[in-house]
Amino acid sequence: MMWSSYLYTLAWAAITVGFIVVSSAAVGLVARLVARMRGATLRQQHDTFAGYAFASPWIVGFLIFVLLPVLASVYWSFTSYRLPNPPQWVGLQNYVRLLTEDRDFRAALVNTFYLVVFGLPAQMVVALMLALLLNQHTRGEGFFRMAFYLPVILGLNSAVLLAWVLMFNANTGFVNVSLRALGAKVPLVNWLVRAFIYVVELTNAFFIGLQNGNYTLLQKILAAGFPPPHRVPLWLQSPLWIKPSIILLLVWSCGSMMLIYLAALNGIPREFYEAAAVDGATKWQRFRHITLPLLSPATFYNLVVGMIAILQLFEQPYVLLRDSPTVARGGYTVVLYLWRATFRFNEVGYGAAISWILTVIILIMTLAQFKLQDRWVQYELR
Amino acid sequence: MVRRIVGVVLIFLLLGVLVACAGQQAATPTPAETGGQQPEQPTPTTAPEPTQPPEEPTATAAPTEPPKAEPVTLRVMVVDYIPDKTDTWLEQEVVPAFQKEYPNVNVEFTYVNWGTLDETVQGYFAAGEGADILNLGSEYIAIYGDQLAPLNKYLGEEAWPDIKQFVPATLDTVTWKGELRGLPWLTAPRAYMCRVDLLQEVGIDKPPTTFAEAIEEAEKATIIEDGALKRAGIVTTGRLDDWQEYIALIWSLGGELYKDNGEPTFDSQEARDALQFMYDRRRAVYPDETIADLPPASGSRLADGTAVCIWGNLWGAPPVDDPIWEKIEFSPGLTYPEKYPDSMPVVQVFNDWLAVPAYSKNVELAAEFLKFLGSAENLNRYNKDFGSFPPRQDAWTGYVQETRPMQIMSDLMNQYGKGFADVRESPKFREILQREMSAYFTDLQDLDTTLENIQRDYTQVLQDAGWIE
Repeated sequence: MMWSSYLYTLAWAAITVGFIVVSSAAVGLVARLVARMRGATLRQQHDTFAGYAFASPWIVGFLIFVLLPVLASVYWSFTSYRLPNPPQWVGLQNYVRLLTEDRDFRAALVNTFYLVVFGLPAQMVVALMLALLLNQHTRGEGFFRMAFYLPVILGLNSAVLLAWVLMFNANTGFVNVSLRALGAKVPLVNWLVRAFIYVVELTNAFFIGLQNGNYTLLQKILAAGFPPPHRVPLWLQSPLWIKPSIILLLVWSCGSMMLIYLAALNGIPREFYEAAAVDGATKWQRFRHITLPLLSPATFYNLVVGMIAILQLFEQPYVLLRDSPTVARGGYTVVLYLWRATFRFNEVGYGAAISWILTVIILIMTLAQFKLQDRWVQYELR
Repeated sequence: MVRRIVGVVLIFLLLGVLVACAGQQAATPTPAETGGQQPEQPTPTTAPEPTQPPEEPTATAAPTEPPKAEPVTLRVMVVDYIPDKTDTWLEQEVVPAFQKEYPNVNVEFTYVNWGTLDETVQGYFAAGEGADILNLGSEYIAIYGDQLAPLNKYLGEEAWPDIKQFVPATLDTVTWKGELRGLPWLTAPRAYMCRVDLLQEVGIDKPPTTFAEAIEEAEKATIIEDGALKRAGIVTTGRLDDWQEYIALIWSLGGELYKDNGEPTFDSQEARDALQFMYDRRRAVYPDETIADLPPASGSRLADGTAVCIWGNLWGAPPVDDPIWEKIEFSPGLTYPEKYPDSMPVVQVFNDWLAVPAYSKNVELAAEFLKFLGSAENLNRYNKDFGSFPPRQDAWTGYVQETRPMQIMSDLMNQYGKGFADVRESPKFREILQREMSAYFTDLQDLDTTLENIQRDYTQVLQDAGWIE
């Protein structure tokens, strides 16, 4: 009896291996048959069999674990599939509800676009600045490179994100305590912080107005005027500050982009700068007319990859907001909303529809980027 | 080459068939292993489904040796936010004691919180696999009743006379279609608790009992320095339990959650007045939405003085034997006598319970564990550490009778208690209330919009779930 579980496991392992072997042979035989019908020599038929037989574990795996689920999700997106009940065909109902009725989905879309529009450029600018600093080849470059890349190694796992939750506490968190201390010592810092608060709150109130069709909050902030000296950012506390909090996290974890920029900077020939210096170009002119254009392929790569990553953002809002229902809606992203529909409420059909809408959005935005790259991406100096 | 590959394929197939047959044979208990007869008492070796009794063994296989106990793992999902002495007690005292009786049983605990419970439990049910015992809340029987194992044959009066000791109202919480689906685990009433010494500092001599008094108290007792909250007159709004307090307030005004036709009642005057009150009280604590919130709590806010009043159960309060209780007074609830002369305080009573899901392969064993855990001694001990009431009457000894907060709470519960039950489609309802109430509290929308949204969205949810035709 004790051995039953081991034998069971062994049986499944043997069946799995057997399935792989059988499916490989089947794929190889079909390929060989096709080759024979096309008049291939015996040698070519053998090669075709071997090639397809060895490639088939991946092909079969792709069919079973990728293609079939994808096709299933297409079907489910047209059904009302609430686990544990079987799916029921509802046609376009899920899509219609998502695009015309679901206010939370609209909020999630606006939030996600907000993060793409503001978060991605912020991430890229900081990554570029860090890469430029590291490219100065100063002492301790290795240490700084490691330090800036550390957030990527740490990953935005739950422990790190929970540490950020504590640091973001508006009253006693590290970020605001630091801002208060700096502001008390240097009045200019205090003024800059307040100006930052004013801009962020106005911008976010405008976006919330877009979501709700109600600009009362924006009017209130305008009426209150420039923030008083004691004001601090209300990071995870206020709906106005949820998205800036997530953007700060995105910027903190820009190490991958920084490395891409650094590699691209190292690939720019020194002769270009020397020639430009001889012609009397200033530092800014060299940066503007040599560095930036030759970094454009790296910028394009970071833009496309970063945009897709932000459109699929999940972990940050999930961990940061799970105990903050007061502001949760302000931080819904499309994938968080998808997860909520699918795994919280078991509405698999509705979740599948969300995922296909997101896929189409990613596809359109990526194609648009590729289409527009001819206008600004330079692979060599003109 | 093809022949070789076909040969290898055949060998693998043969191997697979042989091993699978061996596995199948081993997985089916032989008469010798089951002792050659149908077990009368629950034994961990078989752990049959309640609805599917074990197959009759053939008479030809007489037992030659006593049955060997197969190791069984019983998985228990418990709601608990922080590692504390309740976990230590469960893992280091309860489990070893249970294992004396069932030495082959390993008990594993999984801890979740109310914020993640729904997704965890629904995942279990969707997969048909998960913990064998689930910690559920008062209102959950209507959601999961059909998916839980019927337990009358294990926990009914005939099988387990102890069940008579449980407070009938708590058993109602765990009964679905005439069958017990679990065992009550703790009873936690919620009331308002205030530090009278801090109230007296601002010229108030007792905890608030009306809407007007509550707003006055919140305003006077709150301290704001440099744009940050140093002390909150009351800590409730903006929290996970806002929606529950809102329901308590609607009830206290004489309102109900549902109309006769099943539609929600968020278009009622009671729902409007209760929500307006909560907003006004929030403004008494936070004059505007630029005030930085209190720092994270490192214990009870009543004990450290960062809150003057709280609404909740004793879990969020100082330990019941803490001397600080000499400075804490209770209020059962808030009324609005100016507009609702008949309004009465409501002490919301939550009954957490332990359920056995129908998918569990260890239903009988899980029921045994529930009986073990549900003894008067064990319930008294757990609830003492948790700051709640044992759901069985013969466990109301020791701390329940000897400590002042428990005495007062039990009096309030007896006088004003109302079970937090019949809250339909509670996971989605909670999301709707939290989303809309927080939008209102933070000035993202007005009262009319908030109530309209709640009414519309909750009606849709009830329609989708078949509560309304």
